[in-house]
Amino acid sequence: MYKGFSKEPMLEMFIFESLQLAEQLEQTILANEKARCLEQNVINEIFRIMHTIKGSAAMMMFDGIASVAHSIEDLFYYIRESCPENLEYSTICDLVLGSIDYIKREIAKLEQDCDLDGDPKALIAAVGEYLSVIRGNSGENTAKIDDVPLLAAGEKKFYIATSKSSVETGNIRYRALVFFSSDCEMENIRAFNIVHQLKDQVEEIDYLPADIIENNATADFIRENGFDILFTSRLVPERLKEFFLKDPFVDHLDLRVIEDEGPVDEPLKARKQIIAADTEEAPEQGRQPVNCRQSMISVNVGKLDQLMDMVGELVISEAMVTFNPDLATAVSLDNFHKAVRQHRKIINELQDIVMSIRMVPLSMTFMKMNRIVRDMSKKLNKDVILEISGEDTEVDKNIIEHLSDPLMHLIRNATDHGIESREERKRLGKPPVARVQLEAKNEGGDVYIVVRDDGAGLNKEKILVKAQAQGLIQKPESELSDREIYSAILLPGFSTTEVISQFSGRGVGMDVVAKNIEAVRGTVLIDSSPGLGTTVSLKIPLTLAIISGMQVKVGNAVYIIPITSIKESFKARPGDIFVDPDNNEMIMVRGRCYPVVRLHRRYQVKTDITEIADGIIVIVENDSRFLCLFADALLGEQQVVVKALPKFMGKIEGISGCTLLGNGKACLILDVAGLIKPD
Amino acid sequence: MSEIVGEVGRQEEDTQKGKFLTFLVGKEEYGIEIKYVTEIIGGIQAITEVPEVPEYVKGIINLRGKIIPVMDVNLRFRKDARDYDDRTCIIVIDIDDLSVGLIVDNVAEVVSIADEEIVPPPDARAGFQNRYIKGIGKAGNAVKLLLDCQRLLSNEHLESLHQFPDQPK
Amino acid sequence: MKRVLVVDDALFMRHMIKMILDNNRFQVVGEAENGLEAAQKYNELRPDLVTMDITMPEVDGIGAVKLIKKMDPQAKIVMISAMGQERFVKDAILAGASGFLVKPFSEEKVVQVLNAL
Repeated sequence: MYKGFSKEPMLEMFIFESLQLAEQLEQTILANEKARCLEQNVINEIFRIMHTIKGSAAMMMFDGIASVAHSIEDLFYYIRESCPENLEYSTICDLVLGSIDYIKREIAKLEQDCDLDGDPKALIAAVGEYLSVIRGNSGENTAKIDDVPLLAAGEKKFYIATSKSSVETGNIRYRALVFFSSDCEMENIRAFNIVHQLKDQVEEIDYLPADIIENNATADFIRENGFDILFTSRLVPERLKEFFLKDPFVDHLDLRVIEDEGPVDEPLKARKQIIAADTEEAPEQGRQPVNCRQSMISVNVGKLDQLMDMVGELVISEAMVTFNPDLATAVSLDNFHKAVRQHRKIINELQDIVMSIRMVPLSMTFMKMNRIVRDMSKKLNKDVILEISGEDTEVDKNIIEHLSDPLMHLIRNATDHGIESREERKRLGKPPVARVQLEAKNEGGDVYIVVRDDGAGLNKEKILVKAQAQGLIQKPESELSDREIYSAILLPGFSTTEVISQFSGRGVGMDVVAKNIEAVRGTVLIDSSPGLGTTVSLKIPLTLAIISGMQVKVGNAVYIIPITSIKESFKARPGDIFVDPDNNEMIMVRGRCYPVVRLHRRYQVKTDITEIADGIIVIVENDSRFLCLFADALLGEQQVVVKALPKFMGKIEGISGCTLLGNGKACLILDVAGLIKPD
Repeated sequence: MSEIVGEVGRQEEDTQKGKFLTFLVGKEEYGIEIKYVTEIIGGIQAITEVPEVPEYVKGIINLRGKIIPVMDVNLRFRKDARDYDDRTCIIVIDIDDLSVGLIVDNVAEVVSIADEEIVPPPDARAGFQNRYIKGIGKAGNAVKLLLDCQRLLSNEHLESLHQFPDQPK
Repeated sequence: MKRVLVVDDALFMRHMIKMILDNNRFQVVGEAENGLEAAQKYNELRPDLVTMDITMPEVDGIGAVKLIKKMDPQAKIVMISAMGQERFVKDAILAGASGFLVKPFSEEKVVQVLNAL
């Protein structure tokens, strides 16, 4: 039936919208569970969202999703119509959340191209069971819906709608038996539509079954036996046939002119006005401001990536034009340079706009954490509230995707391991309700995301002992800062929890968090005070795609140092450099001692400039740690498009990626954090 | 619709089946299945060196905006380095979404070698170590060593290399 | 080519219907995601046909039909309904809707229904 549809784009749309709706619903539920009540508008919203998901899923023939959504829709239909009292909010929330989980799980399978094999039966049964429980509470309402008597087949009972007419006046009497096509559905309403449209063209009208509006079961009757209509009209049979067959759902029509004058099948006198006057007043609902014109559109992320790539190409080609070697032969370039400045300004603005389009607020990612804290505090029997702030902080779409898992892990860790048990908090005289704070803020070119708990804090001694035992820390204890010790938990293979709980643990530890954050060129910082809690900060760059970089020359090679990590650069004098017994070079700048890394040595590049005084020193910083890089010369600042090193290369310490220069040559981007990292 | 696409794909594969691009490395002539080859770049363009990779990985090049690694097949086979000249080519191959350029001495031709003309390499149990050859093909009188691209690109060497300490102090 | 206004609060449904219409020589001249917007768009665009969802925020599909019919008694509106919404479809017909489709529907049916108007 659906062969005509190209499913791919629709599938994408379905996944996108249904997930969004599921998220929205989840937030609504969580917010209202706290309030312990369901307001009318919330009930409407839940009903509407489930109705939408049901409709879309049915179109895509995802029956499991459709039927689960349908069951919740039914439940809320009943709640909305009958307003039953004594609703168990937590039960309802569990049912809705369970359904949302099911829907999300199935959609995740769609994304991964797997079969939708989730069995919805138990869920639907649970919803149905609860529905019958609340129905039991206010029984009469249901009876009204279900007890409409079915029309016995063959029972002849006509109602007359318009009673004024007589059979004279040259009208012809007709009897039409209409059969609808087999896939038509809602036959009774189709029949009603026919009667309604016919009303304008005919004088007197009776039909069977008569209770098509009140009784939806008549649909089955009509499907089996057809819809029988009796009427008089001036119209010739051909015109009437045309009228009936115009309805695409009419499969088959038997239209007969009735010759004899007598009443057919003893039509009963009109007792019921079926066709209501249709000039009802339009509802005066439009109180909202009228200006709700669509100002948002949804765009495929792939297209945004393409746009970003194109802007990247533009930046590169701009460099190719402005640094074109042919320009060296030109006589006067004043006008050219003026044009170049304007050109560059426009490109920079374009770049900013494209970046801003890709920026997405963290709110969706943050809101997901509500659910985690809710579920965990319920299961772990802890009172924990999650305080969210700065959720409107924006980061690049590609980065956001990498944040969800690490954040979830941090929140779980905080709730599970950070926060003490109820008894323990009582014993320590801490507030009974524990707090986990999730905060985002902009600082410079970076975004900080902070997860803070007021739990027990990290056990420094235990971490140290374990890290030393596993050979993760070599330095003597006296040389280690607290932060360095805490950072040990980010290393692969480190885990202090002996008990693996349901939520955290299971072998995936903080190293996964660190890895995820590193993948977006971010860093993880850990602070903790015993008894007061732990703070984990994630420092994330605003964007991955384009950065300002300083080109530095080393022999024939060119490297890019991100401008944000450069503190200063200067020419050193011979003798500024001194060497420790381990042959580490150092330099003293304004009374402070910095380690020196010669790029030509580090990367084994041939260069003539090996005397400190001949080259240039660049001081770079990461997380308040400094390093002096020695290069041949600075070549100038440039916007560069960051590209990943080919996977084939593996990860190279101190190199974060590569880019293309104006001359078309590939060049490497230095990773300052990696260069500073102590071995 | 999807059926039709499948059909076309199969046809394309059929026309490529049994065809090999042959090239010279040192004295031997090697063959590589044509379906892996995406393009051939004549001459050597500027290669950007990348630190801390095996010697045979010469670096990265810009292939119309895409950055791909290039590998010297001579060095990969542990032969002596040879200078590049105007006959040196880069064959770009694409395996499992991984594009890699292979630096070879000279590209020869495209030949068809039927399955029955291909014999397996000698058994490893006979003390014959070979990691990169998956078969030996006969085309006319000549013998071509057919490369196993997957193994050529397997970066077990890279991984082991990364486990070494970064720099001598 | 008939000009159509597509009204549905679900992006998915709007796209699905739009795709069907695009494939079948209808011109989708506008989309609306609630009843109020539908009425405004109708007034602005005066399309030949409207496809109208029933369950929508703000003003629902029935409300929208009434608003549009007030503006233009000749308006041709097809309701997009689902099983269980018989009551609303009836109300929509009384309000002046010309026909209705039941989700899930086939491309063929959509085209037939719209062409019949």
